[in-house]
Amino acid sequence: MELIVKKRIKQVLKGDQNAFGEIVELYKDKVIHVCYRMLGNRHEAEDISQEAFIRAYINIHTFDVDRKFSTWLYRIATNLCIDRIRKKKPDYYLDAEVTGTEGLTMYSQIQADGRLPEEEVESMELQDSIQQEIVKLPDKYRSVIVLRYIEELSLKEISEILYLPLGTVKTRIHRGREALRKQLRTM
Amino acid sequence: MNTCPDKMVHYMHEYLDEELSHEDEKELKSHLHECEACRTHFHELKRTIALVQSTSHINAPQDFTEKVMNRLPKEKKEVGMRR
Repeated sequence: MELIVKKRIKQVLKGDQNAFGEIVELYKDKVIHVCYRMLGNRHEAEDISQEAFIRAYINIHTFDVDRKFSTWLYRIATNLCIDRIRKKKPDYYLDAEVTGTEGLTMYSQIQADGRLPEEEVESMELQDSIQQEIVKLPDKYRSVIVLRYIEELSLKEISEILYLPLGTVKTRIHRGREALRKQLRTM
Repeated sequence: MNTCPDKMVHYMHEYLDEELSHEDEKELKSHLHECEACRTHFHELKRTIALVQSTSHINAPQDFTEKVMNRLPKEKKEVGMRR
């Protein structure tokens, strides 16, 4: 996959915008999935994913072709998610409180402001609950857990994506796992 | 669990990251054999990972690529001229 991508990047650099469309096709599901797990909201995930691809396009000349494209792209997407989480923090805490009350989930709250019908169908209760617990994690733990267990990236890749030393990534994964363990224990 | 050496939990995490040495792994295993609290802890950690991984994948909507392409800055032949 990386080889095709490199070829397409060269075409994009030569001014062929359509070649970028193929790159989007190859990575769109992965990027939107990471964003969804980070943000817990499908519309936001789509919004941020679009933004990530647009930034990738605009900055494509800064991409070092000797590196892995997916790592670079995930870095852009993850950083955008973290920015978004920080900006909406007051809301997020409010939602987190709501989830503590019986029968009311963050999702049932959000539903009112427009979830897609297919999304409601596919969201099984357990999956929703797990997602809620992931979203409750502080963002520094959330990003490593999402990249490690949902994207199944290696510790080294995560350290490259987040520009963090390997030791820091390990510590955050350990703490993130412990936090989730406590949250998911009763589930 | 309070009476257990702190390093046991550390070993569990190293094990989950596939970074625990063979020797330490033996120590962890023999400890887990004896200590129910740590066994539970370890089980919960593994279960946590399984739960996180059980979440289904989300796909991008049909028109995603089109939307991105429509939002790209207008085509410029000379990429170097953009900035």
